[in-house]
Amino acid sequence: MRQAIHLPLGHLEYGVTYNLQRRLLELRRLGEIADAVITVEHDPVFTIGRSGSRDEILVDEPSLAREGISIHQVERGGRITYHGPGQLVLYPIIDLRDHGRDIRGYVRNLEQSVIDYLEEVGIAGTRREGFPGVWVKTKKIASIGVYVRHWITMHGLAVNVDVNKSHFQMINPCGLQIQVTSVAEHTTDDHPLTEVGAGLLSRLARLFQWRFKEVDPARFIGVGAQGGHR
Amino acid sequence: MNELRLPDLGEIDEVKVVGWLKKIGDRVEPGEELLEVETNKTTFVVEAEIGGKITRILVDVGERASRGDLLAEIG
Repeated sequence: MRQAIHLPLGHLEYGVTYNLQRRLLELRRLGEIADAVITVEHDPVFTIGRSGSRDEILVDEPSLAREGISIHQVERGGRITYHGPGQLVLYPIIDLRDHGRDIRGYVRNLEQSVIDYLEEVGIAGTRREGFPGVWVKTKKIASIGVYVRHWITMHGLAVNVDVNKSHFQMINPCGLQIQVTSVAEHTTDDHPLTEVGAGLLSRLARLFQWRFKEVDPARFIGVGAQGGHR
Repeated sequence: MNELRLPDLGEIDEVKVVGWLKKIGDRVEPGEELLEVETNKTTFVVEAEIGGKITRILVDVGERASRGDLLAEIG
């Protein structure tokens, strides 16, 4: 078992979290921190990966402004994606040299943590060949997009727990008209993001042989994370 | 002449080059980041193993490469 740190950010703006990821990647590279996993919920935002473009946004600027959706161009793999309230995002900052230097294996472990958690709450999540992420039948419940620099990961995994689906309809990733679903559509119980986060972390701990220690994110961002999960 | 080849990224079939961070004629140091490749929704930054001047780029943006494929020559 290896020590890893968990940084619970609660609800925090995308840009601040992004800068934190970059900082943690550098600290991990220098060996000043152990593998780390951020959990966070963002305000509505579209992020465009290396293979995406603004053309995948189907609505005009005023519509985005009305919904309070901002746009960030980022270095992760994949096209456009959405983050917003009711979605739990995990950003593992981990050194893949300690975990077999296997990119596909890493993505598969992220997917497995979601599949295992969903199984526990009675939802059958599956993989789709050629389409990383986790699916419930033909609808996507969790998205993956990763960046690896010096073999250290950033960006990560987003699980739809109870999201505003109309925001997803404003984008068209991969030209595939992917339909999304969320945990709330398949269960009658309430699943707060903190519970989903704890469930995913315990499965990641098993998959990556970690023992988590919770760390105050303020140590790395200078200010306390604002608020808690919804 | 040193060869820059696609490193072993584990169990993957092929990658797509999504961006060169350097161009022909640039001088690079060992460990410097040269290009970004994408596979499985993951962007991976390939670094120079040896320093020198980039004399040839063999895989352009949008093209695919497999493990061990020659990406560039560094003189």
